[in-house]
Amino acid sequence: MKLLVMCEGANEKALMDILLENHRLSFTEDDLLGLVTYHARQIRSSGVVKAALNMCPEEVKILRIGDTQSEKLFIPMEYRDKIISIEKYCTKPELEMLLIISEGLTEDYEKVKSSVRPKNFAKQNIRLNRKKYDNSTEFYKNYYNDCEKLTDAIREYKRSRGAHQRDELYLADLLVG
Amino acid sequence: MKLLRVRASGFKNCEANTEIDFVAKSKKTAEDKEYELIQIADDLYVYSTVAFIGKNASGKTTALELLDCCYSILGEFRLENKHYNYDGIHLEIIFYHEGNIYKYVTTLQADSALENRAVFRAQHIYKKKYYRSKLGTIYAAEDFEEVHNSGELPEDTASIFFVLKKKQIVATYFDSTGAGTDTYQRLFKVMKAYKISGDVLANIIRIFDENIETLDRVDDHNFSMRMNGTTRIYSDKELIYLLSSGTTKGILLYTMMTASLQNGFDLLIDEIETHFHKTLVENMINLYKDKKVNRKNATLIFTTHYCEVLDLFNRQDNLWVCRSDGEITIQNIYDTYGLRSGILKSRQFYNNTFQTAVNYEELMNLKRRLMG
Repeated sequence: MKLLVMCEGANEKALMDILLENHRLSFTEDDLLGLVTYHARQIRSSGVVKAALNMCPEEVKILRIGDTQSEKLFIPMEYRDKIISIEKYCTKPELEMLLIISEGLTEDYEKVKSSVRPKNFAKQNIRLNRKKYDNSTEFYKNYYNDCEKLTDAIREYKRSRGAHQRDELYLADLLVG
Repeated sequence: MKLLRVRASGFKNCEANTEIDFVAKSKKTAEDKEYELIQIADDLYVYSTVAFIGKNASGKTTALELLDCCYSILGEFRLENKHYNYDGIHLEIIFYHEGNIYKYVTTLQADSALENRAVFRAQHIYKKKYYRSKLGTIYAAEDFEEVHNSGELPEDTASIFFVLKKKQIVATYFDSTGAGTDTYQRLFKVMKAYKISGDVLANIIRIFDENIETLDRVDDHNFSMRMNGTTRIYSDKELIYLLSSGTTKGILLYTMMTASLQNGFDLLIDEIETHFHKTLVENMINLYKDKKVNRKNATLIFTTHYCEVLDLFNRQDNLWVCRSDGEITIQNIYDTYGLRSGILKSRQFYNNTFQTAVNYEELMNLKRRLMG
C-alpha cells in the first residue's frame, strides 16, 4: 500500500516536506505514492496525482492535509477500487495557528479570534528577521528552518485544541515518537 | 537561456507568421506554479510540459522541427543537416537570458557551396531588460534596443553568438524514426557527454527489460550485455534484433531524458507514444513537473495522438493543435478554443472540438470495400 499525501495548499506541502526531510513523520518517502507529497485539492483536477495513481499498481490510502477541509474529496470512478481509505489531518481554522503558537501569541489571539482570522492576525503580528508574514511558502520554509520548532507547534496545537470533529485528525498524529 | 517565443514565415508549409509562445498566458494557480509552470525570472513563467496534437499529416512534426531549428541556432549558432529547404525562412526568436529579453531576427538562405548548412542573412539582435511590471508588454517592439556587434563571423554562423558566446545543448530532438543500429553508439555518447553513470543506465534498462542486467560499450559497434546471468559481446546489428524496438528506443530516450533533467536542456519528442507504454509517457510527464527532479528548468515538448495524455494537463495554454489545409496552422488551445474547465480534454478530442478526428466517411468507405 502507498500513501497519497494531498496538501490543500503550497504552504501545507512545504511543512509536510520539512517534516519528511527531517524524518519526523511516521512514514518515509518510500511509503509515498511517487515518492513525494502533492499539492492537490481534488484528484480530477490534478494531472500529477492522476498520473501517479495510473502508474502505481498498489492500493492507496489518502492523507488530506489542510485547514478546515470542508470541501468533499471526490474520488473518480476509475480509482475507486485502488483508493482504500481517506484520512483528514486539519489545522483549524487556518494553518497560521501553528505560527501563532510558535510565537507564543495564542492567548493574544484568543482575545480577538471572534473578529480576526488567524491569517490576518499573523500578518499583523508575526515577523521573521523584520520581514512581515505574507502568506508565502518562502516565509514558512524560512520560519521553520528549525524543524524542532515546527514539531513543537504541531504537538502544542493538538494539546490545546479540542474543536476537531471525530474524523478530523491532527498533524501530531503523523509525527514519529 | 530559455526560449520564450518563435515566429516564422516560409518554414516548410507553415502559414506566414506561425507563432509558438511559451510564456504562460492564462491564470496561474498555485498548483500550476508547482507543477506545469517554471519560473525563470520574477513572475515570468514558462511551461514544464508542452504538447502538440493533431491528426496524421497535420504538421505536428513540422512544429517540432521549427522549434528544433531555433534551438539549433541558439545552442550551436548554426543550422545544418536538416531535412527542409532553408531558403527564405524568416525567423524571429525571443528568449530570456541573464535578466534580459533578447529578440533575434534573421532570414535564412541555402548555399550549395556549404553542403547542408544555412547562411544567416539580415540578422538583427534586440535587447531589453526584463521587468516584472512590464510582463504584459514583454514582446512590445518599442522597448527593444538594437545590439550592434563589432565582430565578424562566417556567414553560416548566427550572430546571436555575440550574446550567448558559448556553444551548448539547449534542446535535443528525438524524432519518431529512431536511430536504428546507431542507437547504442549514441546512447554511450550521451552517457559520456552528460556523465550519466552505469548504475543509472542499468536502472533505465530494467524499466524496459528486466532480463538485462548490464550493458557496456566495447567499441562503437560492439557491446557487452549480461542477460539472464550470461555475459556476451553483441554487435549493434545483433542487439537491434535481440532487443525489441521499443526497448532500444526507450533506453536511449530515457537516458536523454535523464541528461535533460540533470542539465536543464529541453527535450523534443516526436510521437511520444510510438516509443513506449502509456505509463512510461505519464512517468516522463510527471518527472518534468516534479521540481524535486526537474531542478534546472528543463521542458518536455512532445507530439502525440494519445488524447488521454491531455487529461494530465491542467492548463490549456501549453497545448497546441496542428491543422493542415494546404498550409499548416499551429493554434494554441487557450487562445483559439477557450475550453470550459471540468470537461476532459480527451473527451473534447473525441468530440472533434479541435477538428482532429480521423475522417469517418473514409473509414466507412474502406469498410464498405472490404465488406464487398
